[in-house]
Amino acid sequence: MENDAHLKLQAFVDGELPEAEARVVASQLARDADAAALIAEMKFTRHALAGHEKAVRVPESRDFYWSKIRRQIEASEVERPAPVAIPWHAKLRRFLAPATAVAVVVIAGLLATQPVGVVGGTETSLSDSGAFTYRDFSSGTTLVWLSYPAEETLDDED
Amino acid sequence: MLWMAVLVLCLSMTAGSAQTATLKLEAQLLWGTNDGTSPNPKHKPVGPEIRKKLKELPLKWTNYFEENRKSFDVAEGGANKVSLSDRCEVEVRNLGGNKIEVTHFGKGEKVVKQTQTLPKGELLVLGGNAPNSTAWLVVLKHAE
Repeated sequence: MENDAHLKLQAFVDGELPEAEARVVASQLARDADAAALIAEMKFTRHALAGHEKAVRVPESRDFYWSKIRRQIEASEVERPAPVAIPWHAKLRRFLAPATAVAVVVIAGLLATQPVGVVGGTETSLSDSGAFTYRDFSSGTTLVWLSYPAEETLDDED
Repeated sequence: MLWMAVLVLCLSMTAGSAQTATLKLEAQLLWGTNDGTSPNPKHKPVGPEIRKKLKELPLKWTNYFEENRKSFDVAEGGANKVSLSDRCEVEVRNLGGNKIEVTHFGKGEKVVKQTQTLPKGELLVLGGNAPNSTAWLVVLKHAE
């Protein structure tokens, strides 16, 4: 017998089939001995389970029993762990991290667009091959020494 | 709050970079010697500030005398050429942000061109040997 047929017989025993279909199954039982035997066994098993099932009784009344469950559910909701308090320095760090990143980007952009700094901004173009440049950082003085004019004195101009 | 501070900083720096600045400069023509006095009565001993800074340079002269001094302004983006003697001229171009381009002319010919930043109080010294173990110097200062 197919599984579907077994399920249909089970539904017949449980009284779950529509009336027309139940009539068809009932007429089938008169012709099919295997189906009738299976139906008989199902009914016997159900009777055996129903007759020997242990009744469970709670000590409290029905309303009190369910109210106790409700109170337990409500208590579990109240006892839900409180959110962990974040220290002030962690909050500050959380705020400062993106702000610092933005500040770094802004400052880098500004530095890139600003004029060249004191140290790196020196450029000399000489037509005098014997000249040299000296930078004294402590006094902030740049010296460009030339070989011009080697043979003349400034007093000659007067 | 910090965002506001960053914004204000950016705006102030942008405004600062956008405004044009005129440089106030001072050029001096000096004569360096180891003699205690100058044979030229027009010469004056150099001021103490310039003397102190020249002492810190690798120069061998002990005394410096001022032959000529000129103060002048250079607008940002502009240039100014000053004559310190018949044979000595300097042209300063203001490139903005205390950056200058200095061209030194000797006898009307370009001798050297120096490009650098010159913050307030700093000096640019151009110099060379002169007869009798003396020296000529042009001191350019960013005046206050």
